[in-house]
Amino acid sequence: MAYRILVVDDEPALQRMVGEILAQGGYESEAALSCGQAMERIQTVKPDAVLLDVMLPDGDGFSLLDKLRRMGEEVPVLFLSARDEDAARLQGLGLGADDYITKPFLPQELLLRLGAVLRRVCGRQEETDRLGDTQIDWGKGMARRDGKETPLTAKEFALLKKLWEARGNIVTIDALCQALWEGPLVGYENTLMVHIRRLREKIEADPSHPRYLLTVRGLGYRLAREERT
Amino acid sequence: MKLSGVMKGAGLVTACALLTAAITMTGLLAFVYSTSFAGRGWSASMDQISGSLTFTGEGYAFTGEELLEAGDWAMLLDAGGRVAWSWQYPEELPQSYTLCDVAAFTRWYLEDYPVRCRVRGDGLLVVGGPKDSVWKHDIAMDIQTLRQVPAWFAAMFLTSLVCVLALAYALLGRWFRKAQQVRDAARSDWINGISHDIRTPLSMVMGYAAQMESACDLPPQRQKQAGIIRTQSQAIRDLVNDLNLTMRLDWAMQPLRKERLQPAAFLRQTAADFLNSGMGEGFPLEIDLPPQGLKEIHGDPFLLRRALNNLLTNAVRHNAPGCRLAVGAREAKGHVVFWVEGGQAAEGLAQPAPAHSLEADGGAAHGTGLRLVSQIAAAHGGIARFSSGPPYRCELWIPIRN
Repeated sequence: MAYRILVVDDEPALQRMVGEILAQGGYESEAALSCGQAMERIQTVKPDAVLLDVMLPDGDGFSLLDKLRRMGEEVPVLFLSARDEDAARLQGLGLGADDYITKPFLPQELLLRLGAVLRRVCGRQEETDRLGDTQIDWGKGMARRDGKETPLTAKEFALLKKLWEARGNIVTIDALCQALWEGPLVGYENTLMVHIRRLREKIEADPSHPRYLLTVRGLGYRLAREERT
Repeated sequence: MKLSGVMKGAGLVTACALLTAAITMTGLLAFVYSTSFAGRGWSASMDQISGSLTFTGEGYAFTGEELLEAGDWAMLLDAGGRVAWSWQYPEELPQSYTLCDVAAFTRWYLEDYPVRCRVRGDGLLVVGGPKDSVWKHDIAMDIQTLRQVPAWFAAMFLTSLVCVLALAYALLGRWFRKAQQVRDAARSDWINGISHDIRTPLSMVMGYAAQMESACDLPPQRQKQAGIIRTQSQAIRDLVNDLNLTMRLDWAMQPLRKERLQPAAFLRQTAADFLNSGMGEGFPLEIDLPPQGLKEIHGDPFLLRRALNNLLTNAVRHNAPGCRLAVGAREAKGHVVFWVEGGQAAEGLAQPAPAHSLEADGGAAHGTGLRLVSQIAAAHGGIARFSSGPPYRCELWIPIRN
């Protein structure tokens, strides 16, 4: 079932465009032109995420988010605002927003960031994903290839999860070390390479010539995109 | 607050303080002068009064009644302390005085009557006024202390002046700050307003252009044109962002949120973000970092990332795909030097694209971006160095602080 996204913006033309972008990304969208309409839609439609403008005719997005969180409403909220000052961004994120996107934005950027938030918030651990010929069972922590199941170690699982969450994008070696050891890179570089090599042996058909877990020289690693099962 | 403004304010305050002090001192002196001998017949000279009292052989004749006022009285004591002559002499006063009595009243009061004395050949002339009409005080001062009086006065005057100036500066400073806050708020509102008004319509231009660029039902030529609109919209967006930030830095409205940064990790993340954004597609990017690592710096990651991103974006915008770019960092002379290099035409291109990406005095399209790079370096106490190539190179020198 497609995720349902509520778009709260007082500009109908922009709403239409965001609706089209969301439809192309495989989402359903609902529209609200004011804080009042947004509250009503959130309660009746129960969206999976909200794209929220800051400046609205009957209030502002910050107050609306604050009100939602006070009511115990945990729906993911992404600000979509023309206000780019640090103070506004920090205020929004400080109130518990899941992301803050400034206008103007590229459609692809919006879809990627929305997808990342939904994966983080609504992601289901028991789901399986496919990476080429390899099926990854997140619930069991297994990689399945050619009918053979190979368990992933805790570090390999964390590594793959981190790369999967950002798949298509480069993840720096520093970010991977932070995810694995909650510390800086110093001293872990070789260990990280060992974990990467072992992970490749479990998910790649030819670990010496990887097709999915790619090295970006001097920066980090990138997991090539695959269709979700 | 500008220095000239401060100097003008200081001059104004000093002039006001000096004028106030001069007026106060003049007023005080005028008051003392006009009142010290004023009032009741006290102003009349003892010389005149004494001259009006003459011995005629049979007795004393007094012709100076007009010199004295109502309630005044006078007497002449002979060498034995007896009253030899008197005029409107109070009844309760004695007719003779001892040496001690005379010694006491000459300086103070005679039975609460304020008196003045004058020694004459035939005795002591005493002129009195009504009770409670004149205040008398005996002043005696060590001569050394007296000599220090001018210095004390000068010191007190200067102390008062400093106090007045400090107070005035504090008040003026507050006034200036308040005025500046009002001005900054107006500027900030203006920038935010302009920025907001451009961003919303630009969202639609950029969004629809990107959709058209990837629409399969459009001819390739139209898709390409949509791509150009999308790219140029992004250029306008970046220009708005740069103008916004450059004005904030110019007017000191951009707070620096410094934190400890590991330069190598920071540079890797910046380069990864740049590549992940898709801006660097078709441009091979090399990372050059020393294997031994780099010392930490204190910097605002948002601003430094913005500076490096501007340089990379400029390099991409003004070169053809295939052009090799490089970023790196090293330590030199107590600084961490971030650098971006690029601008050589790609191999195999028949007609090399103009390579002027990192010129400090570049065209208007990227002039703001490079100015911003210099401002960000300056905000961190460092500098930006641009070198003309090829290859073109920009270095950001950020000081290492322990």
